[in-house]
This record gives sequence, structure tokens and C-alpha cells, in this order.
Amino acid sequence: MGERLREIERSAEEIIQTFLKSTENLPEMKETYYSLEAYNVVRPDGEPSPEEERRKFRERFISIMPRSDEKGNLRVEVAAWLKER
Amino acid sequence: MAEGTLAKLARIRGGELSAAENVASALERIQELDRRINSFIELNPNALAEAEAVDRKIKRGERVGKLAGLTIGIKSNINVAGLRATCASRTLQNYVSPYDAEVIKRIRAEDGIIIGMNNMDEFACGSSGETSAFGPTDNPAAPGHIPGGSSSGGAAAIAARLCDLCLGTDTGGSIRNPASHCGIVGLKPTYGLVPRQGLIDLGMSLDQIGPLSADVAGTALLLETIAGRSDNECIMLKVDRVNYSELLREKSLKGMRIGISEKFSELTDPAIMKVIDGQIEKLRDLGAEIVEVDLPNLERGLSAYYLIVSVEFFSGTRKFDGRKYGRRIEDVCGEEVLRRILRGRYISQKEYRGKFYQRALQVRTLVRRELLAAFERVDVIVGPTVPKLPHRLGTKITPMEMYAYDYLTVPANLAGICAGVVNAGRVNGIPVGLQVQGRVLGEPEVLRVMQALEAAG
Repeated sequence: MGERLREIERSAEEIIQTFLKSTENLPEMKETYYSLEAYNVVRPDGEPSPEEERRKFRERFISIMPRSDEKGNLRVEVAAWLKER
Repeated sequence: MAEGTLAKLARIRGGELSAAENVASALERIQELDRRINSFIELNPNALAEAEAVDRKIKRGERVGKLAGLTIGIKSNINVAGLRATCASRTLQNYVSPYDAEVIKRIRAEDGIIIGMNNMDEFACGSSGETSAFGPTDNPAAPGHIPGGSSSGGAAAIAARLCDLCLGTDTGGSIRNPASHCGIVGLKPTYGLVPRQGLIDLGMSLDQIGPLSADVAGTALLLETIAGRSDNECIMLKVDRVNYSELLREKSLKGMRIGISEKFSELTDPAIMKVIDGQIEKLRDLGAEIVEVDLPNLERGLSAYYLIVSVEFFSGTRKFDGRKYGRRIEDVCGEEVLRRILRGRYISQKEYRGKFYQRALQVRTLVRRELLAAFERVDVIVGPTVPKLPHRLGTKITPMEMYAYDYLTVPANLAGICAGVVNAGRVNGIPVGLQVQGRVLGEPEVLRVMQALEAAG
């Protein structure tokens, strides 16, 4: 496992080195984070989903939860540092 | 000659072929052929019942949608309520989607029948269709060879006529690459044209959902179904629905200026270029003016792309920690997924110097400027899709060799423009696709060129 991980890390770094080499002589310029300049970030609040759709969503979500408590609530892992206290 | 998408649609609408018969026939073919091809991970158990509901609407003379009764495969990274969106990974192998993605709602509203979930490269990390946790997909158009990726299952399913249409996703060529290798049609829409809500991201600033089909009309039909603004999507162009099928009625290429670049020949296998050059001559014969454009930094896009995608992928996969559902991604993923996570983590840790990610975003600016400048002179740019022929399934190649499949497709994602692929011919019996790149929202011109070539045969 250790050797496999090292090999993957080596190949992961290869592309970084290729990239650095290919940009050696490029001048600094503005970054493009998204190719769009108009975002729909302040979208209007829509109508809530129909009751039937919300009920089905809840049923489906509960069916794929790995663990739940006696009330049917999602139970997630307790952090290791918390157990140690 | 196989039946075209519109001809089949007319038969269903006219009652000559029932939607249920169409679904039953697809299921039979999948049963017969897919054990060898492996293009589907899961089938929709309600497909036949949904088709019967469409038939009832037709019999009652009610209005039916534009996809009435057509069978549609969905890439396994798009949420379809009640079916598993596995991303072809052990991480999500038991994740049953609790909701429909926006594109799925739109398909259902037009009476399309979801036939099942297509195989793919794990988390869309791959260009070969070999990295799926559910096994590799074969190429029906060149058996024994990779179908390309990452939308491998969708492209293979179309090539084998297992369904009518498929939805794929394209982050660096994942629709166009398999469309080319499988000899079919595919299109990556302009970034922001199709809502991504409900898509499990690979690279959020690059991903787009798009169609795969056996003909250009099918691609236009599925694109017009899924495209257009949605309030559920935060990064979206303000575009209303466009009727691409209507625009395809224009058959001539007279007055169109089509760009080519010598850069394509430098990066591509000469045997592939010969086929592509033949298609360019055909475009000239159809009345287009061929113009040389300058793309000197095209190949710089590849390594910049892999840096950007690794950082975004690392960020996007932090939610797969095994706490709410599924299994922790690093514990069960394949090598390529792990490679991208490790690379993304490494770059993110070092980023305080602005050396990698920020610099890659500058290269993105460079590639985008170059392509947009070219589109001031031409309507579309044509060239090869993939610079080399697909390898035989199971052949060991290095990650860099694998990434080299993407040289010609990643620039469109970096620039956010659209690009389609149509079959150009064959080399050694293996299909080769012509890529038609268009400006932002240039889908009508791209489809028009693809349609003209398809009609010219």
C-alpha cells in the first residue's frame, strides 16, 4: 500500500512539474475563475416544493442513511476527539 | 440504415410504434448485448409503466412532449429519483437518489423515458471508460477497444442502439471523446446554458451536461429539452429556451466562415488528420469559406486544465466522508480518483504562493482570449476531436499518456464555449470524430455544420 501510494503521489506531481515548465515564460495576467461573468447568485426564493414531493424526498433520504436514532433522525459519527474527553 | 430519431418519434406520435414497444425492444437489446458491452449500471424498473402512460396520452389524443416515448440513458453522476447515482464508484454504490436533477425533470416533462443509468469512468475521472468500479465498457463500433470516456456507457449504448438518446457530462471532453471513438454525435453546450443542479460535480467551473445520440437531430432535440435558465442554478446564463431543431432546417453552409488551425496537425496522428482534412474539403464543397486561425497556446491548456480540475475535484469530494451516506472516498476509490484527490490536496496546501492554481487560472484566461479572438473572424472552428486512436481495452498506459487524449477537447471547457462531434470516417476500422467548436451560445452554427456533414454522408 505504501509503495502504491508513493507511485500515485509521484504521478500526481508529474503534471504539476509539466505545468510549471509550460508556464515559465508566460507574463502575469488576470485569472479566469468562471467563464461567465453574470451569476445568478441572488436568485429569488421560489415556491416551496409540493408537500408530496417533500414527503417522498424525506422517505428516500431516510432510506439511504447509514445510521439513525430511535426517532428516525440521522445519526452521524461522533468525532474521535470528543470521545477522548 | 438505422432509423433516424425524428422518424422514430413520428412513428410513436402517429401510433405506428407504441412507446411501450420501443421500451420493450430497448430492454431486449440490452438483455441480449449489454453483458458484453457493459454500458448500463442499472435499469429503470418503471420504464415500461412510464411508456404505457405516454401511450395512453397518445390514444386519448392529448398533447405529448417532444421526446414522447424515446428511451434515454443517463450518466450515473446525475440524480434520477429512485435510481442509484453511483458515479461508478464504490463510494456511492448504494446511493439511491432522493430527487430528480433539473435536466431529468425537463426530460420527464417532455415524456422521455429514462431507461437506466449508464456506466462511466469513476467520478468522471478518465478518458477511456476503464476506471469504473462496475467494470470497463467495450466499444461496439470497434470491439476490444476503449469507447473513450468519461461518458463511456452513454456513447457505447447509442453506438449499439440500446437506447435512443443519452445524457452525458463534459468537463474536459467527456462527451466528445467517447462520441468520437464510438462514431456517434455528441455536444458539450456552452457553460451556463444547461442547469447543473443535481449533477455530482467533477469540476464545478468546467462541467456541463449534454446530449449523445445517433444523429444530429437527436442531439438538437435533447439539447433544446434541457437547455435554458433555471432558478435552481446559481451559475447560469440568462437564456430562454431555444428551438434548435427548427434552426436545423437551414441546409446550406453558404456565407459561413469556418476556421482551421495548423496547431491541430502538429498534435494529431497523421492518419486521423487525413480523414479530418477530407471533411474540411467537403465543407468547402458545401459552400463554406475556410479560414486559417492562429491558436499558438492551445496545448498549454492541458496541464492547466488538470491542475484546475484536481483542485475543484478535491474540494468537491470532501463531502464523501462516509458520514451521511456511502463510504469514505479515499478508502474505496480507484487509482485515478485517488491521484486527482492527492494532487488537488497538494496544490491546495501550497497555494499560498499563488504558484499553481492561480497560475493555471491565468493560462485559462490566455486560452479563452485566444479562442474568442479567433471567433471574431470565423463562425466555427473545425478539427480532430482526439489526437490519437483509442487503445485496446486493458492496455497499460501512463497517466500522462491517458491525459494526452484530451489535448484538443479541454480548450473548449477552459473557454466555456460549445463544441460538438460528428463522425468523420474511420482509420483502421475505428471511428474518428470531427470536432466543431462554436462561440459562446454558438450551438445553432455548430449543429448546422454537423447536420450539413451528416447529410452529405
